[in-house]
Amino acid sequence: MRSNNPGDLAAVVRNLHKQFDGFTAVDQVSFEVKKGEIFGFLGPNGAGKSTTIRMLCGILPPTSGEGRVAGLDIYTQREQIKWQIGYMSQKFSLYEDLTVEENINFYSGIYQINEDTLKRRKEWVIAMAGLQRHRDSLTRVLSGGWKQRLALGCALLHEPSILFLDEPTSGVDPISRRQFWDLIYELTGRGVTVFVTTHYMDEAEYCDRLGLIYDGRLIALGTPEELKVKHMKDAVLDISCERPMEAMGMIHQLDSVKEVTLFGNDLHAVVKDAAKAKSAITLLLRKKGMSLFRLEKIDPALEDVFVSLIEAQGKSTYTAGKNS
Amino acid sequence: MFRRLKEMLIKEFIQIFRDPRTRFIIFLPPIIQLLVFGYAVTTDVKDAATAIYDQDNSVASRELVSRFIRSRYFKVKQYIQQEEQIRWLIDHSRIKAVLQINKGFENDLRSGRTAQVQMIVDATDSNTAGILLDYGQKIMQEYSQEILLDRVARSVGTVQAIAGLDLQSRAWFNENLESRNYYVPGVIAILLMLVTLMLTSMAIVREKEMGTMEQIMVTPISSMEFILGKTLPFALIGFFDMVLVVLIAWGWFEVPIRGHLGWLFFGTGLYLMTTLGMGLLISTISRTQQQALMTTFFYFQPMVLLSGFMFPIENMPEAVQWLTYLDPLRYFLVIIRGIFLKGIGPEILWPQMLALLGMGMAVFWLAASRFKQYL
Amino acid sequence: MNLRRLAAVARKECLHILRDSRSLYISIALPMILLLLYGYALTLDVDRVAMVIWDQSETAESRELISRFTGSHYFTAQSFVASYKEIEHVIDARQALAALIIPNEFARKLGAGEPTPIQLIVDGTDANTATLALGYAQVVTLIYSQEIILQKVRQLRGQLLTVPVEVRARAWFNPDLESKNYIIPGLIAVIMMVISALLTSLTIAREWETGTMEQLISTPVKGPELITGKLIPYIFLGLLDVLLAVLMGEYLFHVPLRGNVGLLFAMATVFLAGAMSLGMMISIITKSQMLASQAAIVVTFLPSFLLSGFIFSISNMPVFIQWITHLIPATYFITLLKGIYLKGIGLEVLALEAVLLTLFGVVVVLLANFKFKRKLV
Repeated sequence: MRSNNPGDLAAVVRNLHKQFDGFTAVDQVSFEVKKGEIFGFLGPNGAGKSTTIRMLCGILPPTSGEGRVAGLDIYTQREQIKWQIGYMSQKFSLYEDLTVEENINFYSGIYQINEDTLKRRKEWVIAMAGLQRHRDSLTRVLSGGWKQRLALGCALLHEPSILFLDEPTSGVDPISRRQFWDLIYELTGRGVTVFVTTHYMDEAEYCDRLGLIYDGRLIALGTPEELKVKHMKDAVLDISCERPMEAMGMIHQLDSVKEVTLFGNDLHAVVKDAAKAKSAITLLLRKKGMSLFRLEKIDPALEDVFVSLIEAQGKSTYTAGKNS
Repeated sequence: MFRRLKEMLIKEFIQIFRDPRTRFIIFLPPIIQLLVFGYAVTTDVKDAATAIYDQDNSVASRELVSRFIRSRYFKVKQYIQQEEQIRWLIDHSRIKAVLQINKGFENDLRSGRTAQVQMIVDATDSNTAGILLDYGQKIMQEYSQEILLDRVARSVGTVQAIAGLDLQSRAWFNENLESRNYYVPGVIAILLMLVTLMLTSMAIVREKEMGTMEQIMVTPISSMEFILGKTLPFALIGFFDMVLVVLIAWGWFEVPIRGHLGWLFFGTGLYLMTTLGMGLLISTISRTQQQALMTTFFYFQPMVLLSGFMFPIENMPEAVQWLTYLDPLRYFLVIIRGIFLKGIGPEILWPQMLALLGMGMAVFWLAASRFKQYL
Repeated sequence: MNLRRLAAVARKECLHILRDSRSLYISIALPMILLLLYGYALTLDVDRVAMVIWDQSETAESRELISRFTGSHYFTAQSFVASYKEIEHVIDARQALAALIIPNEFARKLGAGEPTPIQLIVDGTDANTATLALGYAQVVTLIYSQEIILQKVRQLRGQLLTVPVEVRARAWFNPDLESKNYIIPGLIAVIMMVISALLTSLTIAREWETGTMEQLISTPVKGPELITGKLIPYIFLGLLDVLLAVLMGEYLFHVPLRGNVGLLFAMATVFLAGAMSLGMMISIITKSQMLASQAAIVVTFLPSFLLSGFIFSISNMPVFIQWITHLIPATYFITLLKGIYLKGIGLEVLALEAVLLTLFGVVVVLLANFKFKRKLV
C-alpha cells in the first residue's frame, strides 16, 4: 500500500542492504511504516531483524539503499533521528547496579529533559511500569517483567514519536507479555508508532501490519489478514490424534501432505487439497491402529502461513512451537 | 568422567584458539615483554655520566682522572671550570657524579701531606649512587695506596718490604655480575604468574557474567571436573609460554642454564598449581570481571614486591620476612634462579618444591570446596 | 559538547564506582599497601649481608680484619666455617651471600711485610647486592691496608707518614642514600598507572559486553561526552590516591617534598588524563573485558613499572631500550616527580617533560575519541 503523502509515513526504506564480510544480513529490503501503527517484523533468529532495526535507529550504517525515519535521512541525519526515536534493545540494556530511579535519571540527563518535565515523566514511567515500590531497588533484583517495563519507560522519557523494540518480550513470562502489549496499544492509541521485532508468532497477531523476514529477505508484507488470505494457497488441517509425534512422521510421508508441524498437542498439516488429504490421513491412522479424535479444516494461523512460506523458499522442516 | 573432562577441554581450547585476539595474547606479549624487560631490568652501573672539576691540573691530578676514565663505571663527559656548573648539571640530570680535585693536590702529595678529593653523586637514584660512591672510592684508595707505597719506599728504602692487604674476590655463579642473569629468570616467573592468574580468574567470572555458567551447572559435571577443565588449558598455555621464554632467555640473553631442565619444568608445574589455584579462588569471590581483575592485582602486586625478585628479602623487616613465606613466587624464584645460575637440583631445592606443592594443594582444595557451594 | 549529557554520564559512572565497593576499596587500599611496602620493607640498600668466615689464622690480626668487615652495616657475621665444602653448601643453600677466607699465614705475612692475600667469595646471583658488597669490601680492605702500611712504617722507622688521599663523599638530595626517598616519589607514578589500567580499561568494554553501549548509541549522547564523562570520576579517584601518597610520604616516611606542591598536582592531573584515556582507548578497541585487562597490563602497567626509571635506572639500560622509554609517559612523570620531590626544581628545568606529558595527554584523548567513532561503524 503506497501512500502519496510522505507525512503519513513514520519510516520508509528502499532496497536497504547490509553486508558483513561475505555474509548478507539484510538483502534489499523495502517497506513502509505508517504513522501510529504497530509494525511487526517477524522471523526466526538470525533472519536480519535486529540488523534492520539497528540501521533504522542509526546504530549501524547500511551498506546501501535508502531510508527515512520520521522524515529524516538515515545516512545524513542520524543524530537528529536519535531525538525522534526510542529504542529498546534485546537485552533491555539497563544498568544492573543502578536503582530504578537512577536509571531513569540517567536517561533523562542524556535526553536533556528539563527539570519540570523530568518530574512528570519520571512519575509517568514509574506508574506505567508499576514500579512505585521499587524506586530504590537495584535493577539487578527485578524480575524480567519489571525490567522490561522499565526499559520501555526509559526509551519513552523524551516522548519520541517512534518506538523501536527489538524482541521486547523474549524471556518474559506470559502475563507480563500480555501487560506489555496492553501498554503498546495504549501508546499507539496516543499516536506513537511502534516498530517491533519478534519471533513469537502469536504476538504477530497483535500488529497492524507485518513484514516476514527470512534469511535477510522480506518474503511477505501486509496485515495479518492479508497474509493469511493472499499467501496461503494451501489449506490447513487440524489433527488431534493419539501419539501425535509418531503420527507426525507418518503423515509427513503422504503425498497429499506438504508439511506437518506440531501445534501444542495437535498437528497442523499444510495440504493442497483438503478433501483428499483428509481421507488419506484418516485411512493411514486407521491402518496403523491409532485413534483419531478430530480432523478438520481450519483457518490458517500466521504460524502456518509462515511455515508454508518458508517451505516455499525451498528450506527443510521448520518446527515452530506455540511458545518458543 | 574423563569423557566429560575431554569435552570441556576441547571447548576451552576452541574458545581460546578460535579468537585471534586470545591467540595473540598468549604468544606475543610474553615474548615482547621478556625481550624488552630482559634488556631493561638491569641495575648494572656502567658509563655513568661524570664531570671532572680539576682545579689543580697537574700530572698527579690528571693521573687520577685517567683512572676514572679507564673505569667502566664512569664515563667522563665534561671538564668544568666553575663550581656553579656542578649544580646546574646535576639539576638537569646531565651528569651523575662529579670528581672535584682542589688546587694544591699534587703539592700535597709530593710533600707527604694528605690531599683531599671530593666526590659528589646525584643520589636521586640511591642505588646507583651507592655503587658509584663505592667504586669511586675504590679507585681513589687504590691510587692512595700506590702513592703511599711510593712514599714508604722513598722514606724507608727498598730494603725492608712493606706491603698491605690484597683482596682477591670472586663472584660465584655470575662472574661478571650481570644483573640481567638475576632478573631475567625473575621476569619469567612474574610473566607466568600474571598470565595464569589473570586468565583464570577472569575467564571463570566471565562465564558467570555471561550466564553460561548456569548452563554448565545443570549438567552432571562434578566440581573437580569443572575445575580441571577450566585450569588445564591455562596450565598448558603456561607451560608453553615457559618453554618460549626459557628459549629466549637462554638463546638471546645468554643467561646460563646450569641445572636440569626437567626439574625446572617440574618446579613450573608446582608453581602453576598455586597460581592457577589462586586464580580459581579469586574467581569464586568475584562477581564481575572488574572485581576479578582488581582483586588479582591486589594480591599480585605485593606478591611480586615481596618475592625477592628485585628487593632482597634479607633487607626486609623481620615481620615482613615472615609474610613472604606465604608467597609462592618467593619459592619459585629460588627454584628458577637455582636451576639457571647455580645448577642445583631438588637435593637442595626440595624445601621450596615442597612448599609449592603444599600451597598448591591447599589453594586448590579451598577453591574446589567453594565451587561445590555453587554446583 | 553538551554539559547536561556529560553530567549524566559522569554521575552514572560515579554510581558505578560507589556501588562496586570491592573495587573502590582496592583502589584506595592498594596504593596504601604499596606505599607501606616501599616505605618500610622494600629496599635495595645493602644491609647486613650474611657472611660466613673461615678464619684459618685465628690471630688478633685476623680478628681485627674481621671486625672491619662486620663492624659496618654492610656485613653481618653469620657463622664461622672450617672448610670449602661448608662454604659451598652455605652459598648454594642461600644461607649466606658471602664468605671471607683468611689464610693461615695471615699474621705472619703481615708481620713480615709481605703482600697478604685474603679471599672474598660472593654469591653473584643477586648481582646488585654482590656489586655493592664487593665494592664496599674493596674500599674497606684498601683503607685498612693503608693503615697497616702506616703502622709498619711507624714501627720500623718511627716515622709518621700520612695517608695520601682522603676522600670526601657527598650524596646530593639524598644524603643517607635512602632508597625509599627516591622510590616513593616514583611510586606515585606507578600507582597512577596501575589504577588507570585497572579501572578505566574495563569500563567501556563492560558496556559493550552487557549491551548497554548499543542502547547508548541510539541516544543523542556523543562519543566525547561519553569518554570525558567517564574520565572525570576516575581522575578524581586518581588525584585522591595522589593526595594519599603525598600525605603518607610526608608524615609517615618523611620523604621531603622540596618543590612546588601545586605543580605536582597539576602534572598529576595531566598524567592521569592521559593514562586513563589510554586505558579507555584500550577498552574501546578491544570491546572485551578480558582482552582489555590483559592489554592494559601489558601496555601500561608493566612498562611503567619496569621501563620508566622507577626502579631500574634508565641510564643503565641499553641505548635502544632508552629510546623506548621515551615513549612511555610514566617516564616523564617520574622525572617530574623525582625532580619536584628531591631536587626541588620546577618548570624552569622540567619544562620539556611537562610539555611532553601534556602532549601525550592531548594526543591520547583525541585518539580515544577517534577510535570510538571508528568502532561505531
